[in-house]
Amino acid sequence: MLKTLTNTRKTWLSRILIAFFCAHIALGAAATAFADDAKPDASGAATGDRSNVQDAGGTPFVVPAPIDPSAPDYAEAKKAYDAYQQQVAREPLAAKLADDVGHVRLGTNFAWTLQTGYLVLFMQAGFALLTVGLVRKKNAGHMMMLNFAAYVFAFLAYYAVGYAFQFGGVAINAAPSNIGGAPTMNHFLIGSGFWGFLGGKGFFMAGPAYDVSANCLILFEVVFMETAGYIIVGAICERITFWAFLLCELFVGALLYPISGCWAWGGGWLSQLGNSMHWGHGYIDFAGSSVIHGLGGFCAMALAIILGPRLGKYGPDGRPRAFPASNLVFVVTGTFLLLFGWMGFNPGSTLGSTDLRISVIAVNTNLAAVAGSAAAMLFWYFKFGKPDITMACNGMLAGLVAITAPCAFVSPTSSVVIGVIAGIIVCVGVLFNERTLKIDDPCGAIAVHGYCGWFGAVALGIFADGSYGQGWNGVGATSYLGQAGLGVTGLLHGDVKQFLMQLGGATFIVAYSFIFTFVVFKGVNAVKSMRVSREVELEGLDMPEFGMLAYPEDPVQVLTTGTTI
Amino acid sequence: MKRVDAVIRPSQLESVKQRVTALGVTGLTVSEVRGFGRQKGHTETYRGAEYNVDFLPKIFLSIVIPEELVDPVVEAIVEGARTGVIGDGKIFVSSLDEVIRIRTGERGVSAI
Repeated sequence: MLKTLTNTRKTWLSRILIAFFCAHIALGAAATAFADDAKPDASGAATGDRSNVQDAGGTPFVVPAPIDPSAPDYAEAKKAYDAYQQQVAREPLAAKLADDVGHVRLGTNFAWTLQTGYLVLFMQAGFALLTVGLVRKKNAGHMMMLNFAAYVFAFLAYYAVGYAFQFGGVAINAAPSNIGGAPTMNHFLIGSGFWGFLGGKGFFMAGPAYDVSANCLILFEVVFMETAGYIIVGAICERITFWAFLLCELFVGALLYPISGCWAWGGGWLSQLGNSMHWGHGYIDFAGSSVIHGLGGFCAMALAIILGPRLGKYGPDGRPRAFPASNLVFVVTGTFLLLFGWMGFNPGSTLGSTDLRISVIAVNTNLAAVAGSAAAMLFWYFKFGKPDITMACNGMLAGLVAITAPCAFVSPTSSVVIGVIAGIIVCVGVLFNERTLKIDDPCGAIAVHGYCGWFGAVALGIFADGSYGQGWNGVGATSYLGQAGLGVTGLLHGDVKQFLMQLGGATFIVAYSFIFTFVVFKGVNAVKSMRVSREVELEGLDMPEFGMLAYPEDPVQVLTTGTTI
Repeated sequence: MKRVDAVIRPSQLESVKQRVTALGVTGLTVSEVRGFGRQKGHTETYRGAEYNVDFLPKIFLSIVIPEELVDPVVEAIVEGARTGVIGDGKIFVSSLDEVIRIRTGERGVSAI
């Protein structure tokens, strides 16, 4: 019996490997079919010249040749172009120097984007500590393995297809000009123009994606995807089998996140509604309140509902029972690591340090974090008589999640207000999930990332003050709402359309995430239960799933904590 | 020979130890235990869910002594462990049939 089982597993493994190999060949061939486009620059020697030079206000050094003679400003544009050409002819050395300046500008931005990406990467460690501290010791090994495997498998899924789905058409509407524009990523698999639904270039990060600009984007975006990937861990832990978890991670890394990520960040239809339907600037989510956190939180919610609560979480009378955190030191340290990582998450999303708004973004991010934490601490202090350490930490993360979308567009004071509201949302959300919906969410992932993520994207539409984001998503480059130089603006500063766009867009993304996840995994669960057996859950998942205990020295204490059913 | 067991507050272990050793007691074994007596536990909330902390951490100490030391030792423990607040613990005195020192094979009082 055992032998047959092993053989079946081997057969399946080899089938998967063969399928993987075939897909690589096929998609690689598809990639070369676009050989007539911009050539990928794998060495970096051809990226960065005078066309990448611009002044502080964003005016480019190179004046482009006017194309359309029927345009009303053609004569003016032609004059400017001719003047530029004469200037270049008169001072060739200055033009040559501009090539160097452009290269250095990209170098500066590459360094910034990669370094902030590394900070985001390290949020994995913070999240692992936070979540392992919040669960019972008997599942500590399992918890660490989930966090670890999330990184490994979601990364591979994103490498194979996720990146291509999300950013395969980024150069069409949303070229990241600060890091060279990734010009080779210019094809939608489904849709075209302002109505892109799925990217279609860069499978296996080969062909057009084998390019320095595209790779800079890959590093930054893959660690973002990982964030959505590990959010779900907090809600499904202590009861999910390892194989089911791997399926969840492949699903998030290959499909769930890249698809909606394309709509919002890959130049897809949601971000282009400003151009196509004149709805403000189209949907905006600066660093991912909804695109990353809302999506992950509502995916986690669907999975937590399918799995059901942990054994003993609800008594016979339906009242929730507490499974106290096993290590508050980890919880607080983990939260601080996440705060530190967020200094890459938000300011890094400019994809360039030549965008000096990064200082405002960093301050806003920190302010929302402390405001969220203070609000949660005080809320709990008044309601229960003692501030809850884990909720104080959740409050900080709530503030961070909520400021992630609006961080670039709002003032420091607005950030404090957003943080305070998020801190209260997370407290009410945790109580609502636990007492009313009776969804067991051990680490508060749904309230922190889901609810506050949705709120953050909406908050952008309320608090954006117009000081930043001129021409965002290609809307209002010269003037917006009749004002020259006005950036992204929210409800409080007079742009109702942008508010409605944010409200609709954020709701759409979280609903998409919940429904897609629920349908897929309800099906998986019907075929084979994703949950461990009752005996395994009582014993703790470490030994049955991995054959080792995280804390072999104190098995008795580990096994007697919180096993009331 | 008598065996004196006591359940005391962890915070009182040091003062009990000082008083008992001052009487010439040469050996003392302690274990970290959890339990409840009349003190019972108390209710706390964790993320909005109430829970009882009913098994409180205590120190269980065990001393084997010749019969004549029982009264002074019991008195020393009471003195060292008492705070006057509910939850100070209990002392159990029992008779002991035999003591054997493993290293030498000695038996009885001389093995204590």
